[in-house]
This record gives sequence, structure tokens and C-alpha cells, in this order.
Amino acid sequence: MRLGRSLLIKALSLLMVVVVTLLLMNVILGATGFSDRMLGALVNEQVRVYRQGLLGTIANPDEITRIVAEHEETLRRAYGLDQPWVMRLPQMIWRVMTFDLGEAKSSQTFTGSTLIKDLIAERLPKTVLLITTSVALSAFLGITIGTKIATKPGSRLDRFFSNYSAFSYAIPTWWTGLVFIMVFAVFLRVLPAGGMYSSPPPTESIARFLDLLLHAILPISTLVLALSGAWIYMTRTMVLNTAQQDFVNVARAKGLPENLVMRRYIVRVAAPPILTNVILGLAGSIGGAILTETVFGWPGMGLLYWNAIVTADEGLIIALTFIFTLIYVIARMILEVLYVILDPRVEY
Amino acid sequence: MGFSARDALSEFWTSRTSKMGVALIVILFGISAYVLVSYPLNFGTQYWNKPQHWADYPKGVPPSWTQTFSSVRKPEHMILTTDVSEKRTRGIMTIDFNINFDLRADIFPQFTSFSLSDLTFYDTPPIIHLTLTKPDGSKIEDLLVESVPYPPSGQEPPYVKYVESPLRVYMPGSPAVRNAIAGYLRTEFGSTLTPLEIRNMGLEQFLFGSPDEEGEFTNIVEGTYNLEVQVEIFHEDDTVGSVKFVVGGQVYGFMGTDTLGRDLAVGLLFGFPVALFIGFITSTLTTIVGSVLGITSGYMGGRVDELIQRVCDVLNTLPQLPILIFLVFILGQNIWNIIVVLVFFGWSGLTILIRSMVLQAKQEQFIEASIASGASSRWIMARHIFPQVAPFIFTQMIFFTPGAILAEAALSFLGLGDPTLPTWGQILERGFQTGAIFLGYWWWIIPPGLLIVVTSLCFVFIAQGLEPVVNPRLRRMR
Repeated sequence: MRLGRSLLIKALSLLMVVVVTLLLMNVILGATGFSDRMLGALVNEQVRVYRQGLLGTIANPDEITRIVAEHEETLRRAYGLDQPWVMRLPQMIWRVMTFDLGEAKSSQTFTGSTLIKDLIAERLPKTVLLITTSVALSAFLGITIGTKIATKPGSRLDRFFSNYSAFSYAIPTWWTGLVFIMVFAVFLRVLPAGGMYSSPPPTESIARFLDLLLHAILPISTLVLALSGAWIYMTRTMVLNTAQQDFVNVARAKGLPENLVMRRYIVRVAAPPILTNVILGLAGSIGGAILTETVFGWPGMGLLYWNAIVTADEGLIIALTFIFTLIYVIARMILEVLYVILDPRVEY
Repeated sequence: MGFSARDALSEFWTSRTSKMGVALIVILFGISAYVLVSYPLNFGTQYWNKPQHWADYPKGVPPSWTQTFSSVRKPEHMILTTDVSEKRTRGIMTIDFNINFDLRADIFPQFTSFSLSDLTFYDTPPIIHLTLTKPDGSKIEDLLVESVPYPPSGQEPPYVKYVESPLRVYMPGSPAVRNAIAGYLRTEFGSTLTPLEIRNMGLEQFLFGSPDEEGEFTNIVEGTYNLEVQVEIFHEDDTVGSVKFVVGGQVYGFMGTDTLGRDLAVGLLFGFPVALFIGFITSTLTTIVGSVLGITSGYMGGRVDELIQRVCDVLNTLPQLPILIFLVFILGQNIWNIIVVLVFFGWSGLTILIRSMVLQAKQEQFIEASIASGASSRWIMARHIFPQVAPFIFTQMIFFTPGAILAEAALSFLGLGDPTLPTWGQILERGFQTGAIFLGYWWWIIPPGLLIVVTSLCFVFIAQGLEPVVNPRLRRMR
């Protein structure tokens, strides 16, 4: 029961983070005059369309001016432009929280909808697919290699992977992606340069899956190369720290087989701090995914983000920032639950 | 720390990676100092992002040294400028320039162009005559005869022209040049090619080639060419600043050019001080904010601690890149905005770490003694707490530097860099946006990325070398 309560508290505090972030975002938008400009442009556009519509029906120009001015006033009131931006805050936050995100300027879904809500619903699974696959792969590599090299600190393998992790920190993910495209897609012509499926995509389900796999090799390798270094180094350090503890010596003195000591006495104990670092490193993988998607034209949220920047689509940028924060917070929540399972001592 | 600074230094110096890091950093600083001295500060707006400045450069060509590995020698792009002139009076007054250049290639140059800058005249506008002498001695006289237009009425002499933008003649587009070549071919080889045919066949082969047995101009005449520029003047005080002759080639310089013709070597060099500047300013500010708040939070405790820790929690729970994108997009693409935002989201991790260290350091007895003898909190924090965490803070500062450089590069790559300040990330962004990777323009993509990697790596190496110094437990582990 206590477990449920502590998780609930964690969930509530993470929800608070989302609300605070939204509040801050909207304060920045308001205080810089950005939201006034944005809404003003929206109103002007609608007024222009309205005037166009009236021109055909009413002949008297003064009459048109009067009606248009009235309509503009109504619109400004509807958008809250007659009040200072502070008064609009609750409404704005509520709209975003209920996913009333507006329309995108220049992006649309496969079926042609420009609603940001639909766009995100279409793109999100593709991003989740990319991130989870790469994180799972890196975690697997990190834990197996990290525990292995930790048994022989200072060995050649250990040094190699220490350098590897330094490199994987220093190499920009997106640049690795660019180099991969150039080498494997342009010069060697063995892998597709980008996208998720060939065009037209194969119709048969197995062929379709293989096609997806082929397109996923480069983006996933890029992300794994960037993420696995930190995983390996972290696991190694944590395992080394734990291996120096007295109870590990006792276990060895009892004559337990080495792999059992490793599994039950070292890795099991080192798991929670490793996971803590994973939680902290998650932000990096989200950032990496945005950049990787951009480089490979992987039609997920990251590419959408880039399109929004390139076309200066303010509404879409705001919505995506919110959604990414939300995804991140949810992912953290999942990891927190895992943490509690891994480390029963945890209390909040 | 229980050992002297000298021990620390020797401990640091034993590792090969730290030596490498220090050596690299010295080189990086050397290059940056050179750039700061020799480049104007407004390089970005005045030169790099100004297409006119790169008009005479070849578009998207590889570095010239690639020719050493290639079986077909491509012509090197040559931009030949001279301001050495000689005034002569032989019946008519002329100002003469001489340009010599070597051509060694298996492929004809792409185009040629002639420009003239800073002209001052007092009377009748001067007339420009070009004569090209090939290495085999054959001469194309009056290859170009170009009269400077009369000044608009109402102006008083001296007339000053072509200061901002030069008089530029793109030879393949000039009818006068075509006619001159037709005349040359007729007198020299008895050829009957019309000017129009010459244009369609490409006039470079006639400028730089000689006929084979069938009369086709396929042989390239290699050797030293001479271009004589005679500016016929009608007043003895007339002057000409400089002339330029461009031989359009397919390779250029040490690093090649991008599709706008920009010399990549120049842009890459400018990236050095910018990257170091961003890295250092950001990491310094981040560590200052992070450690001041961390020490305060740990030492003061109570409500201050609570507040600082809650802010840290929120900042740590935010995905960095999306928020960075959002803020830079809203606040504007300016280098200072980027730095401020990076600092704002960078300090929280350090604060949490330092706080936990300070909580431990606070327990020491000499601190209790200090409090008992009436020292103020500020004094204790500055004199007793800070020195204990200082080495750690220093390592973190070095570790933050590549983080800032990489973050700026990522933002630039997404198109959110400061447009007035060219960086490696922006060069890569241009390469990506214009599709250079799909064309296989490796000289545009590989070098800037490598520079980012090397710069980041040298700080990572130093930080790694310092780690066992500040964290004695790691020393035992080795």
C-alpha cells in the first residue's frame, strides 16, 4: 500500500512539472509579446477572409467597414486579445492540457488533416518505435559489455571501451548520421538514405516489415552508437563500486561461483544507481532522436519539429515542446516504477 | 584534498589522454588567436553570408589536393588579382597590367571572367583591351575590348567608378569575346566558325586548346599563359585600382567550396574561436551559477535549500533539446540568447551534486569551530566550504565545455544558429539543407564534424585525466 502511495506522490509531482513547464512556456510567450503577435496575425487573417466574403454581398463601403470592425472586435474578445496576456494564461494552459492544439501551417498527415492533434497521433508511434528500440539495444549492450569489462579493470578491452565512451560523448549524433548516409547510401549504395519505407511501400506484410527493417538500420545504429557509450561507462563504474563492497568479498569467500556473485551480488545491487543514471540520460536520447529523425527523414515527431522550425510554424513548435515534455515525463514515470521494483528500500 | 597541488599535477600528467588533451587545446587556442588577429569581427555578415563576395569562386568543388589521388587532372580554380600597373605613353596613354598563370589539367577550365575595380577618370571614359598569349606563343589580340560607359550628365570630374562592385565581364556571355575569338581562329587557322557556333561549343577550348589533326580543339596547351590588360586612358591623372582574371576550375583551395562558392577553409577557421568562446562562456557561467547555488543550498539548508532543490527538480525533469529549441525560437537566434538558455538549463545537475558534497563537508569540526568563533555564513562558505569542492567544480567546468559546444552545434544544425556568426554546425546545416550529402560532397560534411569532435574530445580527455585527481577512490581502482 505504501508503495502505491509513494508512486502516486511521484506521479503527482511529475504532473506538477508538466503544469509548471506549460505555465513557464506560456509566460515566456506572453511576456515577449509573442502570443499577442501570433493571435493578432490569426485575427487579421480571419478578418481578411470575412471582408472578402462581405465584398460580394454589400455594396456600401462604410457599411462593410462597420461590420468588419464589429466582427474584428468579437474575434479579439474571443481570443482574449482585449485583455493583457496574463488573463489568458489559464485558458491557454487548459487548451493545451486538453490537446486542443490548433492547426499546423505547413505540415499535414497522410490523410490530409492539418490538425496538430492528428499529426502527433500519426507521428508519435514512429518516434516511440525508434527511441525504444535504440534505448533497449544500448541498454543491452551497456549492461553486458559494462559488467564484462568491469571484471578486468585496466585491461585492453576496458581501455578500448573507456575511449569508446569518450568518443561517443564527443561525436554529435546527427553528424554520425550524415556520415552514415554518405558512406552507406551515397557511396556504397547498400542502404536507403532515409525515410521509413521505400516509395511505394511494399504491400505484402513480410516484405513491408523487411523494408522497415532495412530503413531502420542506419538511424538505429546512429542512436545506439551515441547512447551505448554512456551506458557502458556507467555500468562499469557502478559495478566497480559495488564490487569493492564487503558483502561481495564475503560471497566470494563462501566459495560461490563467480557468475553467481556477479549476477546476484553485484549487478543486482548496482542496478538501481544504473537506472538512476538512465533516467537522467533519457533527456539525451530524446534530443538524439529529434536530430536523428531530422537527418534520416524518419517521419516521426523529430522530423515534424524540424519542419516546424524551418517553416517557422509557432503553434506546432509550442505543441511539440509540450508533447515532448509529456513523453519525457511519462517515460520517467515508467522508470520510477521500475526503480521501486528494483530497489524495495525506496521510500519517498 | 589530502595531497598537494604538485601531486595532483603529476597524477594528471601520468595519463596519456590528458597529455593529448592539453596538446590539442594548445593547438586550438593557437588557431583561434590567429583567426582573432587576422579576421574582421563582422566576418559573418560582411563576407561569409554575402553571395557577392563569393561570386568569383567555383561552386561546390573539392579541395585541390584531391588531384594527387585522381587519374584525370581537373583544372584548378584560379582567382588572379593584381594591382601592379605601369603607365605608358606610346602615342596613346595606357595603364598596363600583366597576369601570368600556369595551366596543367586534362579537362578544360569551366569559364573565365575579367573584373576591374576602383577606376578614376577625368575626361573621356577609358577603354579596356585584353590580350591572351598562350604558352605556344600564339596570341589572341583584343580578346576583349570593353569601353567604360560615359558618366551620367551633371556629374563633375573626377569620375570614380567600380568601388563597391567591380566592372565584371563573364567571358562566355560576352559577344565581343566571341567575335574576337572568331577573328583569331580565322586568321590563325583559317577556320570559318561563326561567333554563335563558338558560343555553343564553349569558348574555353579555343582559349586554352590547340587543334588536333582533324582541326578539333581537344588538346589542352599546358604551360604559362600571359594576360595583358591595357587600359587606354585619355587623361594623364586617370587611375585603375586592380584587375582580376578568374579561370573557372573544378578544384579549389585546401578545403574546397560549398554550393554558394564559399571557401570552406575560411569558414572552418572562423569556427575555432566561436566554438571555444561558446564553450568557455557557457561552462564558466554554468559552473558559477551551479556552484554558488549548490553551496548555498547545502550550507544554508531550510527554506532556501528547499526552494533551490525544487527548481532543480523541475529543470532536471525537462527534456533539454525541445526546450532549447522552443526558447531560442521564441527569444531569437542570437549567440547570447543561446548561451543564456544553455546556462539556464545546465546548472541544476551540478547544484545537486555540490549540495551533497557540501552536506558532508559541513560536518567537519573546523567548520563548527568557525561558527563558534563568530564567522559569518558567507565567510565560511567562501573560505572553508568552497576550497573543498573547488577541484570538483573545476573538473565539471571542463566537462561542461564540450556539452555547450555540442549543444550549440545541434541548435545550429536544426537551423537555429546565430546567422551573424558562422559556426561548424551552421556549415553542416547548409550542407544538409542543400543536399550536399546526397551529392557526396564529403569535403563539406566531414571536416566541420571532425573539428567538433576533436574540440569536444580534447576537453573530455582533460576532464578524464582530472577525474582520478579529484576523486581519489578512482585512483585506487586503477
